[in-house]
Amino acid sequence: MRRLVWPGLVVAVIVLVAVLAPLLPLPDPVVQDVAHRLAPWLPGSFLGRDEFGRDVLSRLIWGARSSLAVAFAASFVAAVAGTALGLFGGWFRGVAEFLAIRGADVLLCFPPILLALLVVTLMGPGTGTLIFVLSILYLPGFIRVAYAEVLSARAQDYVEAVRALGAPTGRILLRTLLPNIAGPVLVQVSLAVAAAVVLESGLSFLGLGVVPPTPSWGQMIRGARATMEQAPTLLLWPCVTLTVTILAMNLLCDALRDALDPRGAAPPRRLLDRVLPGLLPPPAPALLAVQGLTVEIATPGGIIRPVEDLTFSVTAGRTLAIVGESGSGKSMAALAVMGLLPPAARVAAGSAWFDGIDLLRAPEPALRRLRGGDMAMVFQDPMSSLNPVYRIADQVTEAIAAHRSPRPDEAVALLTRVGIADPARRARAYPHELSGGMRQRVMIAMAIANRPRLLIADEPTTALDVTVQAAILDLLADLRREGGMGMVLITHSLGVVAEVGDEVAVMYAAQIVERGPVGEVFARPRHPYTRALLAAVPDGEHEAEGIPGTVPRPDAWPPGCRFAPRCAHARAICATPPVLEVVDGRDIRCLRWREFSA
Amino acid sequence: MHTPTRRTVLASLAGLASLRLAEPAVAAPQPGLLRYGLAAWPPNLRPWVSTGAAAGTVKMLLHRRLLGFDDKGELRGELAREWKLDADGAWVFTLNTDALFHNGEAFTSADVKWTIEQVAAERSTAYYRAQMQQIDRIETPDAATVRLVMKEPLATVPQWFTNYNMAIAWHGSPDVNDPVGCGPYAIAAQERGTFLELRAAPHYWRPGLPKTRTLRMVIYADENLRLAALQSGDVDMIEYVPWSGMAAVEADPNLRLLTQNGPFMDLLFNGTRPPFNDPRVRRACAHAVKREDIVRVAFFGRGAPLEGVPIVEGTPWWDAELSKGWNYDPDRARALLAEAGFPNGFSTTLLSTSQFGMHQSTAEIVQQYLAAVGIQAELKLTDWSTRVSLGIRGQYDIAVHGVSADFNDPDGLTVVLDTSLSAAHGRSFGVQAPRTVALLAKGRAEFDQAKRVEIYKDMQRAALEEVPMVGLAWRAQGYAMQASLQGFANLPGALSTSSGALLEFTGLG
Amino acid sequence: MLWLLRRLGTSLLLMWVVATIVFMALHVVPGDPAEVLLSTGGTSPDAYAVAELRTQLGLDLPLSVQYGRFLAGLTRGDLGVSLVDDYPVAQEIMLRLPRTLELILAGSLIAVAIGLPTGTLAAVRHGGGFDRGAGAVAAVLQSVPVFVLGTLLILVFAQWLRWMPAGGFVPASQGLGQHLLLLSLPALAVGKGLAAVVYRMTRASVLDALSRDHVRTARAKGLTPRRVLARHVVRNALSPVATVLGLHMGALLGGTVLVEYVFNWPGLSTPLLRAVEARDYPMVVGIILTVSALFLLINLAMDFLYAALDPRILRS
Repeated sequence: MRRLVWPGLVVAVIVLVAVLAPLLPLPDPVVQDVAHRLAPWLPGSFLGRDEFGRDVLSRLIWGARSSLAVAFAASFVAAVAGTALGLFGGWFRGVAEFLAIRGADVLLCFPPILLALLVVTLMGPGTGTLIFVLSILYLPGFIRVAYAEVLSARAQDYVEAVRALGAPTGRILLRTLLPNIAGPVLVQVSLAVAAAVVLESGLSFLGLGVVPPTPSWGQMIRGARATMEQAPTLLLWPCVTLTVTILAMNLLCDALRDALDPRGAAPPRRLLDRVLPGLLPPPAPALLAVQGLTVEIATPGGIIRPVEDLTFSVTAGRTLAIVGESGSGKSMAALAVMGLLPPAARVAAGSAWFDGIDLLRAPEPALRRLRGGDMAMVFQDPMSSLNPVYRIADQVTEAIAAHRSPRPDEAVALLTRVGIADPARRARAYPHELSGGMRQRVMIAMAIANRPRLLIADEPTTALDVTVQAAILDLLADLRREGGMGMVLITHSLGVVAEVGDEVAVMYAAQIVERGPVGEVFARPRHPYTRALLAAVPDGEHEAEGIPGTVPRPDAWPPGCRFAPRCAHARAICATPPVLEVVDGRDIRCLRWREFSA
Repeated sequence: MHTPTRRTVLASLAGLASLRLAEPAVAAPQPGLLRYGLAAWPPNLRPWVSTGAAAGTVKMLLHRRLLGFDDKGELRGELAREWKLDADGAWVFTLNTDALFHNGEAFTSADVKWTIEQVAAERSTAYYRAQMQQIDRIETPDAATVRLVMKEPLATVPQWFTNYNMAIAWHGSPDVNDPVGCGPYAIAAQERGTFLELRAAPHYWRPGLPKTRTLRMVIYADENLRLAALQSGDVDMIEYVPWSGMAAVEADPNLRLLTQNGPFMDLLFNGTRPPFNDPRVRRACAHAVKREDIVRVAFFGRGAPLEGVPIVEGTPWWDAELSKGWNYDPDRARALLAEAGFPNGFSTTLLSTSQFGMHQSTAEIVQQYLAAVGIQAELKLTDWSTRVSLGIRGQYDIAVHGVSADFNDPDGLTVVLDTSLSAAHGRSFGVQAPRTVALLAKGRAEFDQAKRVEIYKDMQRAALEEVPMVGLAWRAQGYAMQASLQGFANLPGALSTSSGALLEFTGLG
Repeated sequence: MLWLLRRLGTSLLLMWVVATIVFMALHVVPGDPAEVLLSTGGTSPDAYAVAELRTQLGLDLPLSVQYGRFLAGLTRGDLGVSLVDDYPVAQEIMLRLPRTLELILAGSLIAVAIGLPTGTLAAVRHGGGFDRGAGAVAAVLQSVPVFVLGTLLILVFAQWLRWMPAGGFVPASQGLGQHLLLLSLPALAVGKGLAAVVYRMTRASVLDALSRDHVRTARAKGLTPRRVLARHVVRNALSPVATVLGLHMGALLGGTVLVEYVFNWPGLSTPLLRAVEARDYPMVVGIILTVSALFLLINLAMDFLYAALDPRILRS
């Protein structure tokens, strides 16, 4: 919205000045004073005099009046006529549609200025002709906008309903359809006005615009061109004024378009800051040891933390499953470890030790060497994760080539390894030619290409069929065994956890609420949330059902224990934020767990 | 690897700014080659059809006329050696028989006869068709003599044959639209719209001429580009120097500017529409306009006010007092208007064209001054084609016009002053000027010089009162060239646009 | 394949409509080529001469007959001859068209050369100083009318700095260096609007591509940022840019009118203007048909290009 203010102000001032021109104390713009022609400055004529001795400032202001008048009038006529034509065409179809759309096509058949030029040359210059020709030029834009909107609105239920009620066509068009297209039409009007100012000045420059002595910026530029050498400032004033006006109008158009067609506020930009040095020593030899990981995102409403105080570790040859609902922060945590956070997010605290390096503080080149090499990641949606314009073989080879020279046919070998049938042919295919399951296998192939020691799989089976899921999970398990990889498996399905997990970490609202060996956690869940999950899910396929309430939003975490609002065991003490307790090799974040875990 | 810092990039850009790209080599004039900047691509080179002065310049080099002009603007023989009126009032031309056509054929009186017949033909579109039709008989007693018997006595016949649309061509030419000529040059090469290369004709019969063997006429339609080409040395000479650039040419020691006031701007009226049927109203318009402003604005001071009938100063028919007959006198204008019944002025329209800056500027100034005496004229600007069309059909009230007469004899002004002729965009429409017309006719038929002077002075007096048109301003016709070029002159008055014929004598040193 | 034929068919129909409209329009408005031709320089032709010339040019025939002849000529591929100087219209167009095309092409090249790298850089460093600065420059470039820029370029480069002549034309065969020098300023003027558009489009497209999952995958493979950018960002960002380029290249055809006027570039628009002024019907219609055909052809070509850049479309 802020983007609207400055250009809007400038345009408003220009329009206001133009409208008020007759009332302003300006010298007459058409009175000639040849004795003082081309003077760069005179008392009373602050911008000088033109080739006829007329006051330049006055002509600039009156020129605004003519240019803007023509532009607004033409846009208005085009808007009314074009919208009407588009509405009728879209509503009644048949002949009206044919005329409207084909008519628009003929008009778009060749470039606007050429058309304007021809019409004006033939009909003679003058304000009337200008408005006529400019309206015709901008007609197609409005026709199309109205037509498209009507077509899409027609199919809507509410229109059907109104029709079924027997409302007359006119009423439907005016009351129901018109208000919906007001936004796009307004944007179109702003575009048309800006374009009309440009076109009118171009025509005036060619001598085909408003008739002198009525001033117009294009005309002033034309006249000043002849005396460019003697009086360069005479040329500059109208050029600058014209450019500034059009610039303001263009910016206004953009801002209007954004305001009426919001694509969501763009997140604010912040470079990845250096994180404060960690205070904790590296823990016992684990493949990956994450301590106190916290990720922050700055939003217009404030700072949110999708990941808070995460602590977990992964051992070589074993699988850690991180389970939680959507929005619990699991994916973000994985991305943070890999150093692939989106630009809006940054690591605010914590450490992630891998191979003697703190991944969260390591320089980017070091991280790059690890990524795709010793550390690999498989993402959730294989279709969007693969580049649609390259063949499979190229993408797999690229993964290898990032770290070493690929052997010939290595890509095909990898595809075979991940169980893709007919790998040679598939290798030459594009991603969109493969099924979901196959694409995910390709992703896995790319991930294991360089024999990673740590594999992070972010919901690798979520986007796949049940039957394919099992196959992928088996594959992952095989690879882990074969390569001695440590694996982090992120999922929202307890069934998957049960199948392949060695250790599980349960996440709720950006925090780990419980962590421990799978067998133990599932047999004797300590945290109420874990319990509820286990109790509510019959077959591990769907989201946890039956837990009353909803997951809190990141910008509205409850103070204290975040699960408290939904917890059957919540008491007053739960308003205090619980810390993570480590007991018997299991982590638990609950102040009252002893009381109900007998 | 060294990555350029921002500073070094900026520094190198600054360095670039001070570096000038190699200037195009300023080509000095070479002997044997004259590069001429022509103002327009000649639409065609049909010898007798009028297609503009640029075409005319080329035609004068490809062809010869019976008569031409010396560098003072005096009549001089080209293909004719002598010309006189014989006892019966017929014009006798003695021809220059050593002239040869480009195909080697000898020039004879048969060619003159044939040319005149082509021009006068029933289906001809020649410029001087009407004039040639006033020849009753063409007699060719021998190969070197032509005798023209006129239907009426006419003093100006020799002037007709100086026009660049009156080239004499070979009577055996296969293509009437592109007949064989006998001029100093022939076309050697051309690229449409870009240049025409003329080379000395093999059979040219004047020894030592043309002075420059090759004439390369490069088309520069834009006047500023034309001038820039001269200043940078791309051409050695240009025509139609833009008025805004004349001062720069004068200031340049390497260049020379030759100007003459020949063409003029004038106002035309529609006499069928009141109030312009009243000569007092027309005269009021004449006194309302301050001509100096037109000269200053439209022509950058290169010209002179024209406050009377466009008679060239320095010719015997010019009269100092008569030349100010329509002087700037707004009080008189208002008085005339009041006398005619318009004490508070009236509203009307002023027609001009936006296609030519000088027309538009003139119109804007006239509009201002008419408004000052109460005549509110709405400016109607059209393109040239429409302007011509409206002019021919008399669909205007007042119109701005610009033209050059064909020659300096006042009879050349007939085309502008004689409103009894057929409608044309260059004359007022339906304006009654009986005395003027009669005096013009009288002057045409009078052979005695002294009497002619008197008749034309009377004609001016009549015109000042009957106002078939209003003179506004002379405009300067300029030729600019490298100072080292010799042999060219800008012919005075209306002949300026015929100066191109002198290119025959133009060259280095 | 079928859609191609349909598009061609519609295009031909549209062109016929255009030709007819222009033909009729020219005959309806005041102004007569014979009058204009004989009135050059302000001379007043004989009324008889005018009438005679009209007959010679075939202008006194009834409108329907003239139109019939014109259509018949079109089907033979004969665009007629100019009424002004008998020169075949098709030849004039063949002479002039390459120069206009050259201007468009050079302008597009400049636009892409400027817009693509700056747009990519602005997207990669987005929110920073360069992004904001480049955005401002693009906005100004887009807003400056092309004739203003052209005039200012002449003022600066031809008059003040004297780096190059103020305009004009030297055929490439007669001096490639000079030809290119004279091409540079007009091409810059023609390309300025397109440069701003390419910049914005590239920036938006690259920004979008940067956020795509496959970019994350590429980074996960451990590729250097430059490789990620080149292979996975820019490559994917190109197709929307190509579409936009195509849309605007057609508009460039109109933009050249003003540029050719300002710089005296002897392209197609000068003869068009002169032909309209002279009411030279065959020339006007011939040029307009050529321009329309070109316009439609460019749009068609861009459709193909778009499909080529995105294999999903071709395969489907």
